[in-house]
Amino acid sequence: MAGYKARLERDLDRWIEDGLVPVRNREAMLASVADGRRVDASVALAVIGALLLGVAAVAFVAANWDVIPRLARFGLILSVFLAVVGAASWFSKDGTRPILTNTLLSVAALIYAGAIGLTGQIFDIAGDPQRALRSAGLAAGLLALAGRSSGAGVAALALICLGEFAGGFDKEESRWLIFAAPVGMALAWLWNSKPLAHASSVALIIGLIAVLALYEQTWGASGLVAGGVVLGLLAGAARQLSDRRTAVIFFLWFVWGALALFAVGGFDDLKGAYLIAHRAAWLVVAGGVIALGMHDRQGMVTAAGVVAIIAGVCTILFDLGLGLMTAAGLFAACALIALAAGFLTRGRRVKA
Amino acid sequence: MIRRLPLRILGAGLLLVAVLVGLVIFESRARTAGREVVLAMEAVDPRSLLTGHYVSLRLTQGLPTGQRCPPRTQPISEGGWLALRATGGQHRFVGAAPTREAAKAFGGDVLVKGGVYCSRMAIGDAGAKAEAVTLDIGVDRFHAAQAEAEAMEKVLQRRVGDDAAPAFAVVSVGDDGRARLKGVILDGKRTDLSWW
Repeated sequence: MAGYKARLERDLDRWIEDGLVPVRNREAMLASVADGRRVDASVALAVIGALLLGVAAVAFVAANWDVIPRLARFGLILSVFLAVVGAASWFSKDGTRPILTNTLLSVAALIYAGAIGLTGQIFDIAGDPQRALRSAGLAAGLLALAGRSSGAGVAALALICLGEFAGGFDKEESRWLIFAAPVGMALAWLWNSKPLAHASSVALIIGLIAVLALYEQTWGASGLVAGGVVLGLLAGAARQLSDRRTAVIFFLWFVWGALALFAVGGFDDLKGAYLIAHRAAWLVVAGGVIALGMHDRQGMVTAAGVVAIIAGVCTILFDLGLGLMTAAGLFAACALIALAAGFLTRGRRVKA
Repeated sequence: MIRRLPLRILGAGLLLVAVLVGLVIFESRARTAGREVVLAMEAVDPRSLLTGHYVSLRLTQGLPTGQRCPPRTQPISEGGWLALRATGGQHRFVGAAPTREAAKAFGGDVLVKGGVYCSRMAIGDAGAKAEAVTLDIGVDRFHAAQAEAEAMEKVLQRRVGDDAAPAFAVVSVGDDGRARLKGVILDGKRTDLSWW
């Protein structure tokens, strides 16, 4: 796929031919645009090779696990972890191999998570799975901060997220993800990292749901609706903040999250006028999101609005108590409309 | 910034290793320093005892005549306390309470953090039912090499029925009330956890 510089090169040649740009400016203009960082085949193969080597080593150790003394097993685990961290440190020296450093730190974060579990097993240390996962998440976070590693940051959020659901999720327990996600978002912003922006946005939505679950008995469905409103406000803030890709990613995810929470919040408790108000607001908001997505030329936002409006119409049909066959026909009609709209949108984009 | 990056990465790695080593040393010391308690254990289900290379432990003991089950199940997550009393070479459950102070009132000589639930167990050919309690003190498995784990499973299987082989979990209870597994006793043979 051609990068921006390649596209600019083609356009420049055309503009020079048309006399719009002097030919003497061509090189200076191209030089002012930095080459996009690319992952070539050799780097990709090296990364895959390193990962497969790691898997082979793990399988070899697993096959001989029983004959290795406990202390030696523990030493082996720590040595593997330190070797990977050492390699990451080595390759980060001149800053020319950021992808390799990032990959190695992500692997180190996962090895450390495994090391926590294996240490518990080797020395029969009874532990709480939630605490183990959160500790592994904190360790991954430390590696992420130390090495500016977005991969380790994603691992940290994933481990803390798993920790949120390990153990009794329904019980009144602490919640970590809602605090970890904004830290991830801040780092994604500082490092301009797209993977971390995606992971932290999703983490914030899941973290919010986890917090709302704590107060489900007290707040009921209104908590979910309020959560949807909060995400909607965050989406608006992200949109206003900047045109940077990181902010756009936050915006996209929060729009989807806001619509989902708002929709789910209206399923259980609402009755009478509140139910009608919720459904009406659902349709209005979905329509607004479609308009916003088209205005901002953000396909994913438009898609969120289309999905929300289809879901809203279907829900209203169910509310009205239509038969399954009628509902199936309307679902099919909505699906066809959505497909046709998608086809037309794609056609326009290709022409543009 | 870039020049300090390798040192920062290495420093973080060493710090994490130190934390893990510290945890092992702390747990090992706490296990040695705690008060040793021997608790009866039984097989959960002979067919599903082994998952990987560990033996599942269930600390179930019948209650003597006259002692009633606790009125409600107390999950370990509630952070409650159990009172245990040494009787005939092992420790037996005497009561459960939400706080340490309340558990002291049962007159046990060891207080341990944990939960308890009540069950009925069959006794003798007639299948008479007696009340029993299962203790949840956070110790539910014993990791061992495959051959060792299979041998332990066989002994635990023989416990099913009247001709029960003696099987006990040896745990260390620290001042903080936390139980840590020290080893198991099967058929009179004690296997302790060690560094090796």
